[in-house]
Amino acid sequence: MKSRTGLFALLVAFAALAVVAAATASPAKQARPVAASAAAVPCSSAKIALMAPLTGDAGFLGVEQLSWAKYAVAVQNKLLGLKVGLYQGDTQLDPALASTLAQKYVSDPKTMAIIGPSTSGGVVAAGPTLDAAGLVAISPSATRTSLTIGGATVGKFFYRDVPNDAIQGPSDANYMIKSLKAKKVYIIDDQETYSTGLADAAGAALKAKGVTVIRDSVSQSVTDFSSIVTKIPGDTDVVFLPWQQPPQAQTFAQQMAEQGKKAKIFGSDGTNAPGKFTFKGAYVSNFAPDITGIPADKALVAGWLKLNPGQKVGSFGPPTYGAVQIAMQAIKQACVGGKVTRAAVMAQVPKVRIKQWLLGGSWGGFTATHDPVGAKFYIFQIQGDGSYKLVG
Amino acid sequence: MSTEPGIGRDEWVARSEERRQRRGGFFGPGSELFMRLPWWVRWGMFVALVALIPAISSSGYVRRVAFDTLLYMLLALGLNVVVGWGGLLDLGYVAFYGFGAYLYAWLSSDQFHLHLPTLLTVLLVVAATAFLGFLVGLPSRRLSGDYLAIVTLFFLQAFLTIMINGESIFGVNFTNGANGIAGVDPFSLFGHKLVVAHAGIFNVWYLYVALAFFVVVLVALRFVNDSRTGRAWRALREDPLAAELMSMPVNRLKLMAFMFGAATAGLTGTLFASLNGGVFPASFALPYLITIYAMVILGGAGSQAGVVLGAVLVNVLLEVLRSPQHSRWVFYAAVLAALIAFVRPWKWLAVVLGGTFLFGIAVRVSLHALHPAWTGGSTQGSDSVSRLIGHWVAIPTSLGSGKAIAYVALIAMILALTTLKGATRMIAMIPTIYMGAFVWENVLAPKPEVTRFILLGALLVGVMTTRPQGILGQSRVEIV
Amino acid sequence: MSNFVQFLVDGLTLGSVYALVALGYSMVYGILKLLNFAHGDVYMIGAYIGYGMLTALGGATKPVISIWLVMVLMFLVAMVGCAGLGVAIERFAYRPLRNAPRIAPLISALGVSFFLEYSAQLLFGASHRQYNAFAFGGGALFFKGITWGPLHISLLRIVIICSAVLLMIALTLLVNRTQMGKAMRATSYDREAAAMMGIDVDRIIVVTFIIGSALAGAAGVMFALRADASPLMGFNAGLKGFTAAVIGGIGSIPGAMLGGILLGLFEAFTQGYLSGQWSDLFVFAILIVMMIVRPTGLLGKADIKKV
Repeated sequence: MKSRTGLFALLVAFAALAVVAAATASPAKQARPVAASAAAVPCSSAKIALMAPLTGDAGFLGVEQLSWAKYAVAVQNKLLGLKVGLYQGDTQLDPALASTLAQKYVSDPKTMAIIGPSTSGGVVAAGPTLDAAGLVAISPSATRTSLTIGGATVGKFFYRDVPNDAIQGPSDANYMIKSLKAKKVYIIDDQETYSTGLADAAGAALKAKGVTVIRDSVSQSVTDFSSIVTKIPGDTDVVFLPWQQPPQAQTFAQQMAEQGKKAKIFGSDGTNAPGKFTFKGAYVSNFAPDITGIPADKALVAGWLKLNPGQKVGSFGPPTYGAVQIAMQAIKQACVGGKVTRAAVMAQVPKVRIKQWLLGGSWGGFTATHDPVGAKFYIFQIQGDGSYKLVG
Repeated sequence: MSTEPGIGRDEWVARSEERRQRRGGFFGPGSELFMRLPWWVRWGMFVALVALIPAISSSGYVRRVAFDTLLYMLLALGLNVVVGWGGLLDLGYVAFYGFGAYLYAWLSSDQFHLHLPTLLTVLLVVAATAFLGFLVGLPSRRLSGDYLAIVTLFFLQAFLTIMINGESIFGVNFTNGANGIAGVDPFSLFGHKLVVAHAGIFNVWYLYVALAFFVVVLVALRFVNDSRTGRAWRALREDPLAAELMSMPVNRLKLMAFMFGAATAGLTGTLFASLNGGVFPASFALPYLITIYAMVILGGAGSQAGVVLGAVLVNVLLEVLRSPQHSRWVFYAAVLAALIAFVRPWKWLAVVLGGTFLFGIAVRVSLHALHPAWTGGSTQGSDSVSRLIGHWVAIPTSLGSGKAIAYVALIAMILALTTLKGATRMIAMIPTIYMGAFVWENVLAPKPEVTRFILLGALLVGVMTTRPQGILGQSRVEIV
Repeated sequence: MSNFVQFLVDGLTLGSVYALVALGYSMVYGILKLLNFAHGDVYMIGAYIGYGMLTALGGATKPVISIWLVMVLMFLVAMVGCAGLGVAIERFAYRPLRNAPRIAPLISALGVSFFLEYSAQLLFGASHRQYNAFAFGGGALFFKGITWGPLHISLLRIVIICSAVLLMIALTLLVNRTQMGKAMRATSYDREAAAMMGIDVDRIIVVTFIIGSALAGAAGVMFALRADASPLMGFNAGLKGFTAAVIGGIGSIPGAMLGGILLGLFEAFTQGYLSGQWSDLFVFAILIVMMIVRPTGLLGKADIKKV
């Protein structure tokens, strides 16, 4: 029977903890909920929040973004003389959780900007909350076109510093037609929203120019592509893989070589990972040149490598750094009289200009649809030593 | 007379001595009074407590977490019917949840341009999901135990596959594929549209609607359980063969259990869809099922209070563990509470606590003397408690591959602890606790999102091995 | 025609991995009547141990000893490591629950599964670890092999299928020809009677876990040679392995082997001839139908309960 009392004590302890957590999770004096959005907060206690999938199938994406976000906050705090803190929220790739997380950050009056949500589904789910609260969100990886273009956009709070699928699809297609002389293209999507959207865009662009397009799809959990590879007709010119997992693209390419298929492999920006996708002769498209090749970024990359030994620079991280840079610059610009509000930050975000943009050139602001200005895609070909050579 | 479960031993009779005595201990008179109150007073107190949450905290986040917890509680109640009362292992339960949510979305969004009134939609969804439960329960007539579990698991996987790939079934876009259906209408009661959020802050009325649903489901299920059906379910759970021999309609009972569970899940699905304004297939995958099962079994299958408690515990724990500061409180408080609860007599507790404290100081001082870099790092937070702890736990500036070694060493030490007994165990606790704090500060706390699930897994294993019936469940002997 | 043979080989390769995982499930279920959901994660740890071994011995391109020796060592160390892990899991998560209602060890297994998955992510990071088997021996694994017109069966596939077959033969011999195997069969038939006949049931259970986990470890290395290692790979493999065990008849060892091969073939053919999108659905639909029509699986025995 004594274990019952012990259990009871444990339960009481947990209940007490829950109450304490609840009470400390919010300031006691909150007259009206609307006040949170308009509240002026001292600049030194401002926070930005990262919403990314840190665990689950896309965990590698979120973890990479988090490491770059932490690095960016540290560097920019020093450069701009700020004391901005970073919240990290794990959406676990579940849009409903993104909605709850958005609520969490909206309720905390210190949050001035959101970095993310990383996934387009997360943006859609968290959108209404963030929009109504007037909290600006800059996403480094949500590329679904319909978020900013078309009839069902998410709202004025959303910005992104990477180009959307509507640009990547046609530009990849053009390269395939012009430089690779493709007459028959096999497109395989991985049933996720990024993939199907990009596959549709590229497929439409190809079909418009008279190229034969065959579509197939494989679920993200499949890692043995042998049967899919066998199905690819021998006269296919290009196999287009709008995937998000570079290791899978690598496995696919190897299995293609294993079966002696001659088609060229073309991966989208989700497969861009100089450390992981290293198959000689494959093509990869990306919205930025490899930052390890940009001389101006050398110090930046070195600093990141020092904090993250043994890891390689991927393609999801640098845009996150850029988004944090824009957000913190906006906070600095909005900091008036030692105080900053969400509305002021949202007003300053489109006005941020950065001379040395880590993805090359300078940052010239956003377009009318809140996409990056001057977005273009670069095509690389993977060389024998695994390095990426710019070809288009 | 021992109160261990066993065949041929009547637990009620064995517990008769306990009932006659007054409960002792610190909480004795209070808990006895509590147990004497009628069930509806006890539950009323709980519901009132939940209803007062918006008064305690005006943070939209806290209210939203309370809403999410209510959803989990509803799901736990439904699963309790199938697993706890009916004894049927249904591993496809979240499929009903997902089906309810998607059906609500089909009936109240732009997908098919239907915008039916809320009351009608909710009733339709509950009825349809109950029917789906009936269909899924049909194979249960021929299957027993593990085979039923397997079939329901495959049903869930099939459901998920259909929902993810459903953007062109025979040319019709049913489910919009992995994107999910967005733009789902919120609830509208008596003509008032229940807006999901005011200026981005969660609308507290949704919490009350969820609470109302919870009360309705709780009372309804309780009435069902107190009736002939409930007694028949208990008989079915204990020994299906004997129940059948006593001319109970076993098949009908199984189907009823499935239907009630499914109906509850469907109702919860409507709440979920209307609040989120959209449904996404990722929300109904297997990890969600595992979480709900953990809540039900942890709290005690078969006891409504137990599963509700399990739901609250697990969900609040997972949310609190998201932030490093709060998770530190939880960790140290949990270790302390466990020690206080399970280390008896008191002098041993004093020895363990004092010894750990001194051991920690000794280790840190010696490490610092050996090599300053070994104690150069800092804790996650920077408030006074963190700094205090920073003086007690040795935090090297960089651990590198030592992380994995320390982690595995901690697991080995904890496992070894369970094999020791008596005084050796007490003494061995001291370095284990210090190692635990060390691993926490250096390895676990920097990555709260992963630590949440590690702790949940460890909690599940720990509770199951020491108390398989859950917190408020009753120990049973299963006749196989 | 050559497509058909290619699909056949694809299916056999997939099926070998599934069969090895399914064996672990079947054996444990046969003796303990427990669905061991942590089995897939033992497989995942095996893949990581293999990766650790490979890196310790110099990596894919610069091994310190012959690459073939490295491969053998990877298999052996992964099998031994996973066997140890399996023993620990059994001892601490399942043995205290020997007499509890059957749902308790199930939840305990789920807890262990969560624990292993997220511990792996904590310790090894969330990104995939590649064996880079493509570079083994300068590409020998992928480019050497049997070529017959447009058909090419790489050396890697041959290695995988042959090792899986060898392991399965070894297991069959162990179970059918040795004293220990006889004890295992007796325990899975009726645990109490076996105990009464003087068989040390605890030891037999430990041996079962050792064998099952070792096979899972080998399967993990095999899989990672063709793909890569990631913390959540055990989830899918566990589900597929479990499916395979069910197809063949859970509790039956030849059933698990047959089920694994059949599942692999079925998957390969549906992905090949139908769309990759719907192959999962077909698999599950066929399974549901089979469970309703013949719940004991292809080679399972009908469960006759004595009252």
